[in-house]
Amino acid sequence: MNLTVRSERDSLAERVPFGVFKHMRSWVVLAPFTLFVAVFLLWPTFSVFRSALQPVEGSSKPAMLEAISGQYLDAILYSVRLSALTAGLGAVIGTLVAVSAVSLNQFKGLRNVLVGYSAVAANLGGIPLAFAFVASLGMQGLYTKLLSVIGINLSDLGFKISDFSGIVIVYLYFQIPLMTLVMLPAVDGLKVTLKEAAASVGATPRQYWRSIGIPLLSPSLLGGFLLLFANAFSAYATAYALSAGGSNLVSVQIRFYLQGNTITGKSNLGYALAAWMIVVMVLAMSGYLGLRRRSERWRK
Amino acid sequence: MIRRNFWSKVILVIVAAFYVLPMIAMARFSFQRVPVIKLGWSTLGKNWTADSLIDAVTSERFLQAGWLSIRLALLSVVLSLVILIPTTVYVHVMKKSARSYVEFLSILPYVVPPIALVVGISGAMKVLGTWFLASPFSLVPFYVIISLPFTFRSLDTSLGAIDLKTLVEASRSLGASWMRTTRMVILPNLKVGIINASFLSFATVLGEFTIASLLLKFTLPAYLAESQGSNPQGTFSVGLLLLVVSSLMFALMNRLSKRKGHALTGLTL
Amino acid sequence: MSKHMKVTKKVQIALGFTVAGLLLGACGSSSESTESTDAAIVSDCPAADIVDAATAEAKVNLIALPDTWANYKGILQSFRDKYAAIENPVANPDASSADELTAVETLAGQPDMPDAVDVSPAFAQEFDTKGLWEPYQPCLWDEIPTTLKDPDGKWVAAYYGLMAIGVNTTVVTEVPTSFAELTDAKYKGLVALNGDPRESGAAFAAVMAAAIANGGSFDDILPGIQYFADLKKSGNLSGSDVTPASVISGETPLVLDWTYNYPGLAPTLAENGVTFEVKVPTDGIYGGFYAQGVVKNSPHQNASKLWISHLISDEGALGYIEGGAIPARFDALVASGKVTPEMMKNLPDPALTANITFPSADQVAKAKEVLAAQWGPMVSGN
Repeated sequence: MNLTVRSERDSLAERVPFGVFKHMRSWVVLAPFTLFVAVFLLWPTFSVFRSALQPVEGSSKPAMLEAISGQYLDAILYSVRLSALTAGLGAVIGTLVAVSAVSLNQFKGLRNVLVGYSAVAANLGGIPLAFAFVASLGMQGLYTKLLSVIGINLSDLGFKISDFSGIVIVYLYFQIPLMTLVMLPAVDGLKVTLKEAAASVGATPRQYWRSIGIPLLSPSLLGGFLLLFANAFSAYATAYALSAGGSNLVSVQIRFYLQGNTITGKSNLGYALAAWMIVVMVLAMSGYLGLRRRSERWRK
Repeated sequence: MIRRNFWSKVILVIVAAFYVLPMIAMARFSFQRVPVIKLGWSTLGKNWTADSLIDAVTSERFLQAGWLSIRLALLSVVLSLVILIPTTVYVHVMKKSARSYVEFLSILPYVVPPIALVVGISGAMKVLGTWFLASPFSLVPFYVIISLPFTFRSLDTSLGAIDLKTLVEASRSLGASWMRTTRMVILPNLKVGIINASFLSFATVLGEFTIASLLLKFTLPAYLAESQGSNPQGTFSVGLLLLVVSSLMFALMNRLSKRKGHALTGLTL
Repeated sequence: MSKHMKVTKKVQIALGFTVAGLLLGACGSSSESTESTDAAIVSDCPAADIVDAATAEAKVNLIALPDTWANYKGILQSFRDKYAAIENPVANPDASSADELTAVETLAGQPDMPDAVDVSPAFAQEFDTKGLWEPYQPCLWDEIPTTLKDPDGKWVAAYYGLMAIGVNTTVVTEVPTSFAELTDAKYKGLVALNGDPRESGAAFAAVMAAAIANGGSFDDILPGIQYFADLKKSGNLSGSDVTPASVISGETPLVLDWTYNYPGLAPTLAENGVTFEVKVPTDGIYGGFYAQGVVKNSPHQNASKLWISHLISDEGALGYIEGGAIPARFDALVASGKVTPEMMKNLPDPALTANITFPSADQVAKAKEVLAAQWGPMVSGN
């Protein structure tokens, strides 16, 4: 639609019903939303940091400092590694699925099923998911047994569903569909005409992807990766259900100090670990926003 | 093109197998009362029963938990929409510059993992008054928060698909009243977003466990955790049932929202 | 090994009954007055005014009592049978002791604030420090051994159990009977702890028991941590979480857990054609209790007191016995002949529990410190 652009003065805000919004500053309209987020998100977060900056009972340094050393630092790094790896793998495979889904366009029903199941699988986690994999590939798993019948003994090969590699596989179960859901609309947006145009001037599929496809997809790719990272990093129910505590992960360790049966009196350490989780996420988020701004320039 | 299609199909088949096989293993465990170690050609057909599922689904606790979860989900959806619709319409129609601010706030929940949010809640809310936390509906605002990134995104995408501001201006300049403009211009564009946001929010609430268990609310995931002790096979078969039902619901919803190519995926980033 | 133990048990019980029979026979002449006095004591307990006040309150808010833990299902039912007018809902049965503390603090002053709790000794201490116990000594308090109650009446340990190896004999044919045997290569990937010891009371107890089996003591938990570190390195330690599902499926065929956590699984195991045995490890005998008490300023104080009385009473004690836990007044019950050998089938050999001692609060606190510092680096660290 090509209407003449009106000047700021004539803008809509000037001609509102009942003069309601006319004299309101935008902050008034946005106030309910802002207030809501402040009370139910920012305030609990502030409370976490407040406890985290106090010392652990029996020591003098702030809990946050203690939580970034020794075994706790290992736990944080381990969580970051796991999240980055599953985010990366999930992003690649999920994108491939989204791109492949184009070939399903004739089979609308199948495509809907893919989308439907992806939406559900992306939210799956915790005990049911962990158990499904234990029932499949655990010591007494269905497929472990089938594989052993044809001669492949997973236990001898050193594979345990509760080890790092097992946890990665289980995490991928919700990472891949999540990425698929993110990429589907973006891939759909890659107009077929662009592809044909590229082909008509002699570009190979690889050149098309490199110069047009991927740059156009990049905001979604980045956003998806960040989303997957956040998802994996915050997850704890799945790892917890999978391995006697999933105990190397920060998110699980927070439970030991705040929701367990044995350790008492170290609650500030738990808050400190939660605070560091938030810090990691803030860093990841800033990285994403910075990269997105750059890629947006690139797109133009 | 043919080669592309071939590889596409291969990828889809592999991923589909990855999705389905674990669920088959879980189903076998839930419905067949034979431990894997005893499985063999002779025992393959033995002891299949849906009793555990029936016990779980007809139990008082399940119905109680399910009902609470459904109510919480509905309330969360309503509250999300009540807060977000005016906000998103405003930033799309009136003040585009404010959109980044709202968008930023909407991705803040990513930054605070639920486990961290939960530990903060008990500390923070004690000040607010314990009456608040006692009600089961105290979960609703927190559920709105954790589904905020998705719900905002859904509404934002559907409103942003076309130049709504210009359309509204055009409508107004042609003499339509605000009511009429809202009804004929703004709402139709919102419809898809509302459907997407509602479904995503619903799914999130039904699956949320961390906050509910901290505040001792007996929701569906809490029921599943509890009944895992007394009826593990029933619990997992209920899980599978929910999985199948929700997938079908989402698939259906996707089909219905196929206007203007807006898929379920309000997750554009 | 098991046959030998059965014989010993039978002999012990037979002896017990013979002694009891002789005593009763000796009191034959004054039996009538003894009986009526006994009856009088029993009917006074719990006191009628508490029962009436509790009935007026009509509810006791409970928390963290799973059905399959020490037969709480049966005990809750027997309470309902005896006091039909009083509801006893259980919130969040899988809550940990820390969750119970959080609930008491978060719901303070609310109608659904927990009235009575069941927490690990470490948390009984926390509750004390925070002044959350309402001291109450139910009648029959004197029959409870001093090791199983707080001297000021703040809490009571209505039951305790021993750390035991639960063996899924459908998967594991050679049944281990000691910690030493568990290190054998034939059990690769099969030994499972019930959770992480930094969080789970049962897993913590398993580490303490392993410490005792390997030259440690209540004051020295390090040998136990070392034992599990070695078990992990050799691949014997299963990483999987222990849940009823994992026990039934055979994923965790050798479980280290309290004796009272096994009987609850028996029906489902039977349905699935799984056979199971429970063995207290011969080299590391470790007992543990949980503490129950009335929560200060809770909404239903009298109903809560009635609940605690019920746990100590004969009905409660028999309920615990059925669940494989040893009730606090076990000796008194055996002496009065209320326990039959059939009832004791889920209990560990009385010879093992005869001289049981429990670590003190200080010993537990010190062990937790060492655990928190060392378990991560030594055992779970990759």
